Amino acid sequence: MNVSVLRNSSPSEPRILLAGVLALLVHLIFVAIMIFGLDWKDHPPEGMVVDIWTELPKPIQEPVKTQPPPKQLKPVPEPVKPKPEPEPPKPEPSKPEPAKPEPVKPEPVKPVPQKAVVEPPVKKPDIALKQKPDPIKETKPDLEEQKKKEQEKIKEQERLKELEKQKELEKKKELDKQKELEKQKELDKQKELEKQKEVEKQKELQKQKEKELAAQQQREREAKAQREAEAQRAAQQAAARNQVTNEISKYKALILAKIKSRIVMPPDLPGNPVAEFNVTLLPGGDILDVRLSKSSGHAAFDNAVERAIFLSKPLPLPPDPALFNEFRNLNITVHYRE
Amino acid sequence: MSTTVTQDMSFLHLISSASLLVQLVMLILVLISLSSWWFIFRKLFVIRYEIKKTDEFEDIFWRGVDLNALHQRIISSRYESGSLERIFAAGFGEFNKHPVGSDLDAVMESTRRAMRATYQREMDYLESHLSFLATVGSVSPYIGLLGTVWGIMNSFRSLSSVTQATIAHVAPGIAEALIATAMGLFAAIPAVVAYNRYASRTDQLATRFESFMEELSNVLQRRAAE
Repeated sequence: MNVSVLRNSSPSEPRILLAGVLALLVHLIFVAIMIFGLDWKDHPPEGMVVDIWTELPKPIQEPVKTQPPPKQLKPVPEPVKPKPEPEPPKPEPSKPEPAKPEPVKPEPVKPVPQKAVVEPPVKKPDIALKQKPDPIKETKPDLEEQKKKEQEKIKEQERLKELEKQKELEKKKELDKQKELEKQKELDKQKELEKQKEVEKQKELQKQKEKELAAQQQREREAKAQREAEAQRAAQQAAARNQVTNEISKYKALILAKIKSRIVMPPDLPGNPVAEFNVTLLPGGDILDVRLSKSSGHAAFDNAVERAIFLSKPLPLPPDPALFNEFRNLNITVHYRE
Repeated sequence: MSTTVTQDMSFLHLISSASLLVQLVMLILVLISLSSWWFIFRKLFVIRYEIKKTDEFEDIFWRGVDLNALHQRIISSRYESGSLERIFAAGFGEFNKHPVGSDLDAVMESTRRAMRATYQREMDYLESHLSFLATVGSVSPYIGLLGTVWGIMNSFRSLSSVTQATIAHVAPGIAEALIATAMGLFAAIPAVVAYNRYASRTDQLATRFESFMEELSNVLQRRAAE
């Protein structure tokens, strides 16, 4: 009995559920750290925003300038003022009615129309007087006297008419003469004008010729100056090239000398073997690659030269980085005997 | 874990856009990590409880309490007893079964065997699941690494179709692949730490149990000789 009791007394594990809850909690904390600590995709945009803010100060001042635009918006009310102005035009249409006799349009002011109203009545009477006298004359005389007077008047009128016709003829003749004279004068004037024009044309032509000559001279001078400048430039460029080539050759010689100083020559090689290497350089003089382009025939010599090239790293390079392109791929030939 | 991940869209996107194998690896790692943490906390509570019980029992035992009364109390409340109490109950019960005057050597031998058996059972109970923590600690980094390597392989394979390769083409793939490694390490590191700690604690307990067994057999032998 006791044995069975002991066997069944398998230990009861305490707080299994609490352990599970704690395990979940730990993972929740871990995920929270992952999300809030490692959300690397959210950070770069913030950096961009910061960069923009450093440039913003000026734009901020511009917004201040854009605030004035509201002030410019006040002009919008100003266009509204024109509306009051159009109202004066309304009186103006009313002015033309009194102004018909003597249209004094240019004066839109109200006082002026009043004056205009006053003036027309004064002139209308004049017209009326001219028309009225004739009816008055016809009514006053007696019938006989009237007839005689009428005959006389008719005769006089006829005479007057003849006279008038003669006068008109004379006038026509005079007018014709005048016209002829005017025509002649006009012709003379035209001739004179033509002459003047011709003179002017000649003057202009002369001026043009002078200008052309001057322009040609200027062109020639400019061309000469350009040629001289080009010659100078060419000379300068040539000088620069010479300097560049001098520097390049100088540094190539330096490189070769440095390499030769590092060569441990293998002893007793027959003849004067020549090893050619193709060296690829990095800016700063570091060696990227060394390739044997033409072997000397003696592996010992080739290896010695290759070792010397690597040993002479960094190679001397001109301080001007623009010249580096000349050194990017170097061909180095080393003779066994100088 | 995956349910909580849905809270962040970018993080979820990173995981959901991974290839199927990487996602599988991640799922396995999440399950492994969950269960390993569950066992870590279970063992933590169990070992703490055992140490506490052992301290209490040794304190009571060496104070010179009547052994019969102690045995009765342990049997009556055995479900709240600790390992050491159960070992004592097994040994003392076996010792009392023998009639007075029987061969002392035979009595002590059977008492020791009974205590030994209970001790083995208790140690088995204390060391259960520790091997799982050891396995997690050693294997989960490799599982994570497998997912990472696979993900990076895929992201580089997609580069082959691009004429001008930039970091931007590879970066997201590598990032999502590296999540697998992170998960594996997250599962492995605490498992290894817990395994080492719990193994040493159970070793300490085992020595205490064994020494107590020896001392109890001495006490019983003296008592039988009297």
